Amino acid sequence: MESAAPHPASRSLLRLGTAIGALLVLLGSYVVASTAPADAAPGVNAIRVAEFPADCTYSHRLPDDPIVFPGLPGASHMHSFFGSTVTNAHTTLPDLVGSATTCNPRVDVSSYWVPTLYRDDVPVEPSIATFYYLGEGVRPDVVAQTQPFPLGLRLVAGNARAAGPGDSIARWSCLHAGHVPPSKDFVNCPAGTMLESYLDFPQCWNGRDLDSPDHKSHLTYPVNQACPASHPVHVPKLRQVLRYPVNGDPSRLRLASGPGYTMHGDFFNAWPVEELARRVRDCIRPVIKCGHDGRPL
Amino acid sequence: MRPRLAALLAALLLATGCATGTPPATGTPPAGQFSATDIAWLQLSVAMAERLLPILDLVPDRTTDPAWRRLATRIETSERIHLTRARRLLADFGAPVANPHEGHDMPGMLTDEELTALRSATGRTFHRLAAGHLRAHLTQSVRIASAEQQGGSDPAATGLAATVVRAGTADLARLDHLDRAPTLPPVPAARQ
Repeated sequence: MESAAPHPASRSLLRLGTAIGALLVLLGSYVVASTAPADAAPGVNAIRVAEFPADCTYSHRLPDDPIVFPGLPGASHMHSFFGSTVTNAHTTLPDLVGSATTCNPRVDVSSYWVPTLYRDDVPVEPSIATFYYLGEGVRPDVVAQTQPFPLGLRLVAGNARAAGPGDSIARWSCLHAGHVPPSKDFVNCPAGTMLESYLDFPQCWNGRDLDSPDHKSHLTYPVNQACPASHPVHVPKLRQVLRYPVNGDPSRLRLASGPGYTMHGDFFNAWPVEELARRVRDCIRPVIKCGHDGRPL
Repeated sequence: MRPRLAALLAALLLATGCATGTPPATGTPPAGQFSATDIAWLQLSVAMAERLLPILDLVPDRTTDPAWRRLATRIETSERIHLTRARRLLADFGAPVANPHEGHDMPGMLTDEELTALRSATGRTFHRLAAGHLRAHLTQSVRIASAEQQGGSDPAATGLAATVVRAGTADLARLDHLDRAPTLPPVPAARQ
């Protein structure tokens, strides 16, 4: 039986996994950078990447959702929470500010949550949960104008109501098994590898609202490598990467929201304003890869 | 028309810059009497009622037990009244009826597989399954309506919540009476 907590002996393996993951991100941005027509000096900038990460281990589980069902404990399917350790159905911004957090860096007291993954009806929590803040997918001049997320922003990405893979932006793959093609639904990962989930949040904000009735439409995805006029403010692309200590037969797996393609993520921003602004200024706009402390690596 | 009035109010509030950073945003007036909790509870209540009605519709065909038929009719009547009131309030608030999580393995809501199983069940099996689903629905419905009573803002919404709590609690007692050896809800805790 695999347990939800990372096994000490597998730590080095996990670290290797993180390194490989980071390398993949680098390679990914190399592809983006080298295909971007407006790249000023591709030879020099090719593998530069605009990034700072927050690694937030699993905190707690509750059938609560302070964005979709605020004030209604028990109203939601089961969620697994990362980051702030206090989040429940009643959580508002003042509760998060100054709360304890599972994140590295500790300064990130934001709350992140996803539908709980079950194998044979037993919850499985990610052994690695990384939230990358990226400057990619848009033209370099747009990256250079990135603004921090406003304090208190609430945002849902993915489609909990997806009726099939066609309605979904979920991506499942295997850590340490690149030959298994990624899919919008669960994949069968070979023994010794981990199931991983990628989810990209939208990065163009309407510049006005902290939330919207569907909790999505105050932000949107870029069009033609730029932000549309309706959502003109470019913010970091939040990429959620979860590594679950499970592999094998995907028919034993389900999310609290249903099949793998219903994967979604909720983000409640509570970064201290100046701290987030500094990271955007020092890492994203100048396209520099930063560590957890928000300093260039 | 009430929805039109709500939309007009929303536009006015936006135009006069009254919109604050609190929960609802684009196109809905966050200021005033209703809150994000009201909206979320109404949306969820609509989704839950719409999921329950097909179960209740099955009862007359599947059982000849008059007590079962009476209870199903009673619950169906109150669910339809609550559903109408909830839909009207959402329209008044200018809020969409759909909720982002409806229909997906939600506490108190039947999955498609469970509905299929119920459709092919008869006799005692049907009674047992239907009682389990009704109990799960009523329990969840009372739980979230109690939360709305405490945390909601709009008097019409919290008033409806109070009605739902009263009716749901009474129906749960009737169900317990009817289904004397209460079976566990068919949805184990891990499925939430």
